Amino acid sequence: MTPLLSGLVMLAALLGLLAIGTPIAFSLGLVAFGALYSVYGGFFLETVGEQFFGYLSPFSLVAVPMFILMGAAVASSPAGKDLYEALDRWLNRVPGGLVLSNLGACSIFAALSGSSPATCAAIGKMGIPEMRQRGYPPEIAAGSIAAGGTLGILIPPSVTMIVYGIATETSIGRLFLAGLMPGLMLTIFFMGWTIIACKRRGLGLSELTQSFSMAERFEALPRVLPFLAIIVGVLWVLYGGVATPSEAAGVGALFCLILVAVVYGVFSSAWKFSSMSVIFRDTLKESVMIMLIIGAADLFAFALSSMFITQSIAEAIAAMDVNRWVLMAVINLFLLVAGFFLPPVGVILMTAPILLPIITNAGFDPYWFAVILTINMEIGLITPPVGLNLYVINGIAPDITLAQILRGSLPYVLCMVLGIVVLCVFPEIALFLPNLVMGPGG
Amino acid sequence: MRLFITVISAISRGLGVLAAALLFSAVLSVSHMVFVRYALGWSTVWQTEYTTYAIVAATFLGAPWVLTVRGHVNVDILQIAAPAPVRLVMQMLAALASLLFVGLLAYAGWVHFEEAWSNGWTSETVWAVPLWMPLLPMPVGTVMLALQYVAEIIRLALDGADPVDHEPVLFPDITEEARP
Repeated sequence: MTPLLSGLVMLAALLGLLAIGTPIAFSLGLVAFGALYSVYGGFFLETVGEQFFGYLSPFSLVAVPMFILMGAAVASSPAGKDLYEALDRWLNRVPGGLVLSNLGACSIFAALSGSSPATCAAIGKMGIPEMRQRGYPPEIAAGSIAAGGTLGILIPPSVTMIVYGIATETSIGRLFLAGLMPGLMLTIFFMGWTIIACKRRGLGLSELTQSFSMAERFEALPRVLPFLAIIVGVLWVLYGGVATPSEAAGVGALFCLILVAVVYGVFSSAWKFSSMSVIFRDTLKESVMIMLIIGAADLFAFALSSMFITQSIAEAIAAMDVNRWVLMAVINLFLLVAGFFLPPVGVILMTAPILLPIITNAGFDPYWFAVILTINMEIGLITPPVGLNLYVINGIAPDITLAQILRGSLPYVLCMVLGIVVLCVFPEIALFLPNLVMGPGG
Repeated sequence: MRLFITVISAISRGLGVLAAALLFSAVLSVSHMVFVRYALGWSTVWQTEYTTYAIVAATFLGAPWVLTVRGHVNVDILQIAAPAPVRLVMQMLAALASLLFVGLLAYAGWVHFEEAWSNGWTSETVWAVPLWMPLLPMPVGTVMLALQYVAEIIRLALDGADPVDHEPVLFPDITEEARP
């Protein structure tokens, strides 16, 4: 069999296993085992244990469970509610200000928790009823929350970016910085669209009359600021070159746990100590799932390169000599479709080893590509059939139909597509900050 | 049969609690390392290694429990679309395929552990841990994962297809609590 043909066989086997609902980690692992058997015979089982253990034991991987734990601690606390109230008091003088506070709260909360569905649930629980009560149509209420939730995997610290960094052996600190400006850009796009939509329908003007005193505005801050301080602290430590991502994340996780217990445990009755067990349950579930996919995907990548498949695909595509932007468009389309069915972490780990050589051969920057890939994954989160955010919103507000949520979130999908186009024209938006802070190249 | 399912699931749950404790110990050891290294300016001996081993151990020991709460993420749109009998076949096949992989991985993990044990290997660091200790969770976790899959297959055979519904991938319990 030629390498390309065996690649096709592996792809078919993988898709078959995934289609019947085999967990992603075990599908990848089984196909990799099959391929290794065909190359090395039964002997591979003597060494593959050491290999698999080795894939899971670099210290850089420790960042994954630590950031997840940090996010889970924040997500379990009423921080979302506080954040939302604080922003509402500061943004109430703008048309559509309530929707804007929702988007703002979503982007901050998403950065803290690193989870799109958790963001939708936390902010949407207060935001959607409040928006509807003040006369916003269900489409705008639901759509803005669904879209706002997606910002989390772009704005640092982001588990998706860590996983990309591990899969492609790129710098996690640099990836975080690359995601920051595009994340803010998308937030601004989202807000811009919201202002236009609200103005056109004459919405959100009523709250202009309601005003908060400066005292009221500052009163809302103390419970929100500590969390922001932790995030800024973690990033500062990271970029100061003081500590590695795993170290920064570990300390950040400990601080968040303590803070959640102190701010929401001691001073309020809303939070119970049993929340700790929920935090650890969710963290364990999520990080075991991701770690096993990482191990299996590494094994899969090893099998691909043992059979010269990775190299052959890259050569074949280089030989076709297509225009690099046509290539990028095809890759984007492929990622978009993959994102419709698979969770972001799965898509990144499966495709990165194959796509990265193609991307760098075509002269694209791997950090810039990480941002493009992530925005693609965000789109997948608010489009059917797997769009998790849609189902979370449907769970919070069962009387808003999926069709209404979809109609509301579609303009935001277009905002993201616009974001991808803008990033293609001006790659500096993603690359300026990492180059400035960490020096050019990398 | 039912007893087998109950016993295996209980063991998986126990290992899950152990895994969560390991996760928490890793948070503490990383923080301790940062404090010792950056605040006190001392060199560290065991923290980096311990943290990594604790995370790997938590991954393997937590895996069987994660299966019982359906946390190993998969693509379920075809299962959702399929009528119950077809879904049962799909779930059976998926479980058998997973069992095959996990069983082979358990064997491979055992080989690696056994080598380290009988040759008395230690890690090549100042700490020089006997390597069988960090390697033991791999065969234990994967064997339990395989047994849990056997239990799942028996359960499918006894009770028919599992229902499938969309569930948020990240923080399902927290997200669930946040709902009104």
